[in-house]
Amino acid sequence: MEPALLPPDIQEAHLAFPQALAACADLDALLRLKGAYVGREGSHAARLMELLKAAPKEQKRELGAAANACKTQWEEGLKLRQADLEEARKRTAALANAWDPDLPPPMPAQGALHPLNRLMDRLVDVFRPLGYHVEEGPEAETEEHNFDGLNIPEDHPARGSADTFYFRQGGGLLRTHTSPVQVRVLKRIAARGADGLSGLERAGGIRFLAPGRVYRKDEIDPTHSPMFHQVEGMLVGKGIGMHHLKGTLAYAMKALFGPGADVRFRPSYFPFVEPGAEMDVRCPLCGGQGCRVCKGSGWVELLGAGLIHPNVLRFAGIDPAVWSGFAFGMGVERTAMMVSQTPDLRLFFENDQRFLKTMGGLD
Amino acid sequence: MLIELTALVAELPALQGIPPQDLSELLAGLGFPVDGLETVAGVPVLDVDITANRGDAQSHRGIARDLGAKLKAPLAPLAHAPYPQGEPLLPIRLEAGSAGPYYATAILELGETQATPAGVKAFLGSLGAGAKDLPAVDASNELLHRYGHPTHAFDADKVRGFLAVRWARAGETLVTLDGVERKLTEKDLLIADASGPIALAGLMGGDSTKVSRETRRVLLESAYFDPRTVRAMAHRQGLHTDASHRFGRGADPAMAPVARDLLATRLIEWAGARLISAWSVGSLPTPRDPVALPWPLVGRVLGRPVDPLLASGLLRDLGCGLELQEGGILVQPPTWRHDLACAEDLAEEVLRLMGYEGIISELPPLESDPAPLAEDYLKRRKLASRLAHLGFFQTVTYGFGDPLEDREGHALGDEPGRRTLANPLGEDYSLMRGTLLRDLDQVARLNLEKGAREVRFFEMAPVFEARPGEPLKETWTLGLVWGGELGGEDPLTPPRKLGGPEGRSLLLGVLKALGIPEAVLAGFSRWEFQGWEGGSRVNLGWHFEVPLDAIAAGAERVIARFTPFSRFPVVERDLSLLVGLDQAYGPLREAMARALEGTPLQELRCVDVFRHKSLPPGTQAWLMRLRFQAMDRTLTGEEVETWVLSSLEAARGLGAQLRG
Repeated sequence: MEPALLPPDIQEAHLAFPQALAACADLDALLRLKGAYVGREGSHAARLMELLKAAPKEQKRELGAAANACKTQWEEGLKLRQADLEEARKRTAALANAWDPDLPPPMPAQGALHPLNRLMDRLVDVFRPLGYHVEEGPEAETEEHNFDGLNIPEDHPARGSADTFYFRQGGGLLRTHTSPVQVRVLKRIAARGADGLSGLERAGGIRFLAPGRVYRKDEIDPTHSPMFHQVEGMLVGKGIGMHHLKGTLAYAMKALFGPGADVRFRPSYFPFVEPGAEMDVRCPLCGGQGCRVCKGSGWVELLGAGLIHPNVLRFAGIDPAVWSGFAFGMGVERTAMMVSQTPDLRLFFENDQRFLKTMGGLD
Repeated sequence: MLIELTALVAELPALQGIPPQDLSELLAGLGFPVDGLETVAGVPVLDVDITANRGDAQSHRGIARDLGAKLKAPLAPLAHAPYPQGEPLLPIRLEAGSAGPYYATAILELGETQATPAGVKAFLGSLGAGAKDLPAVDASNELLHRYGHPTHAFDADKVRGFLAVRWARAGETLVTLDGVERKLTEKDLLIADASGPIALAGLMGGDSTKVSRETRRVLLESAYFDPRTVRAMAHRQGLHTDASHRFGRGADPAMAPVARDLLATRLIEWAGARLISAWSVGSLPTPRDPVALPWPLVGRVLGRPVDPLLASGLLRDLGCGLELQEGGILVQPPTWRHDLACAEDLAEEVLRLMGYEGIISELPPLESDPAPLAEDYLKRRKLASRLAHLGFFQTVTYGFGDPLEDREGHALGDEPGRRTLANPLGEDYSLMRGTLLRDLDQVARLNLEKGAREVRFFEMAPVFEARPGEPLKETWTLGLVWGGELGGEDPLTPPRKLGGPEGRSLLLGVLKALGIPEAVLAGFSRWEFQGWEGGSRVNLGWHFEVPLDAIAAGAERVIARFTPFSRFPVVERDLSLLVGLDQAYGPLREAMARALEGTPLQELRCVDVFRHKSLPPGTQAWLMRLRFQAMDRTLTGEEVETWVLSSLEAARGLGAQLRG
């Protein structure tokens, strides 16, 4: 069984077999190797068969054993290698269809509502359960609605062209607050009484919010803007007092800032309310210790409010001896800045996507 | 207004030892929130916010008076020795009636040494009103901050002939103490002498008669001027002074003679001055009529019945005179409270002293069904939310337009002059915009410049239109812009420039999904959102705007009406059509759909566009997908083939061929 019995070239091939087998990188190469060693024709195995056939009888047994041993070795080697390569091919094929689930997926684009709109919408939602609906008015207003009807005297400094934008023609102005909506609504509901009953009486009072854009002649800087937003609220009914105003605002501020919100209700002055009030919230930045935001006082002003001045009701044609109510107004930017601690008012109007992405939500 | 704590305590001794923080709370409770607290030379100085109605509170004593009423503590007595009416050394003419009804004066000869006491200098310094070391000037200033009544000192030797309180004459001018030459109008109230104007009444003295180190004799002024007159003058002259703030909000007329005496006494004490004569002319304005305060009104405002004894006491503490009336009281407000004009004002005073913190909280009862939210408002909210979910960011922009750039936005016949502001912040902000697209484009471009790859924005705001003969109209408008590069941000979505023609179909898809009618889309012409790239104008994407009225508000049903759907299988067929490069999709699809009327066609749409040089020149291949499904049966292959062929026939009618 000595391989030495085999011809030298086959001996050489036999010795080279393991290396050749290992060198087969794929099934094609393996097939070629298989052909060269154990193929039907011209292979080393075929030659061995021919040699065996031609060998003298006495050598046949020995040569046969040696040839068989080689052939068996080759076939087994080839079979094993084939299995390996097939396995590898399957593995590669599987990998080609695989996808690392951590690769970034395409995502539906996500936009955002503007934070100012979100806050205004939120206020509407907060007041909705109390029965408030939304009233709106034009941005281009008359002096009558913006000032006269609100008990603002003719020589009030806010009426000057240094504070209020006026149109070049027609005498109109850009409303400086959302309060002219009060005047419009009051006039509308006062005018309804054709059957002797006032509209107010039939309707059992009125309550509404008026969110919107307002304009004042301020230069654009980190704390001023010629356009900003307010949310106005008004309620008219019978026997309305400061306790109703305080209860309403306390409810709303808790709904807006959480049940733990620490608010303060104190006297103030606006020409269109009497008594006047303001509501402050404990400074969110320092918690009341005193800081730059609250100017050391520990409180930040949130909104102005009060009972509707009898002159405002009278102007609209509503009898203040019968009807009373309250009104309040909140600066939207001011509140948004305070809550978010946004350092610069201009960010709200630059509309940088990075700002809107972090500040806004979907609904 | 700045309040120095020791000076405040001097007016209200009960405040001795009060921590500044507690004082701040106390003041806020009275309606004077403290905006700042500083310590100047060891003394706390509070920046107190005084509302515009409280002219009387613009002094240390004024604030002390309210605190005293709150704490039920007495004010320090005013060290005041009235001077008897002396010989009028100079004729004083009151020629402006109720605008300047009273004038108290005195002439004093100043001593050799003139110095303002160090304590007064420190007091003025801590209020940011630097002392001049001219006792007449500093004392007047100190009196103003301490007691609130503005006074003035003239150099008596520079006053010619007489003094008159009169209206200015057209063409007159006056150089005021600040060195500004002021043109006067007939509505300006003056102090004049024989030479002409020497002071703006209640605002500022004149340069020609000002007190200097050389002044030997001073002529004092402590008068009363009408608030409206002073406010109008301050506004007209753009001159807002400590004096105009106090006269303009209503000085206490009763303080006019007192302040003259206090000023004279200070000059005598500080500068060794000698009183030559003190006298006054005119009469103080009559107090306003008393105000009736019915108790039920106080009860309504407060939210519970008020104890008349308690409320009367509080009003008396504020200096009101009271007289009992049926069901209430008749209140005579003190001379310094010009703001107490109606019953509600008095009710507020009662509440203010009781403390707003004591008001109970109560929700007003709902006496009728709440009105529904307006459809327009709801529509805007729904659209905004929808767009945010579609990847758009909502913007808020100022709303002003530039006349040069706004031109394209005009509706035909619009008169931009009527949208133009008389006093804009600048030319670029001079008119109310007639379009949202300019602002949206600018926002989009800025974001692209800052590195955004894709920009999707929308804004909802009124735009302005001025049609001839019609009032200025505001139309709620929706504007959108979509540009930059879509995709390319993950391995599965290839990048695509939105500025290309196919980018518009993306925006159109959104607009159709929002329910914007085809006719509105077809009528719009300004689609291109452009910008500059390497010096040339390029398309960066697409934009669109539409009045919100053009979009129907979707009727909301929480539970929608059930729509039946088929339980039988869907049959899908794809038709690859060779069509011309100029083939319009709409008509082709419509022709095919029309051919399929009466069949259970569920869907017909192009799902692929193939353009390649292997196709005949001038053609492209559209893969049309047809989907059939019947409500009542499984469709057979034969009938579907018939339908597909008839739709193919219809497409052929428009020149399409089946791609081989």
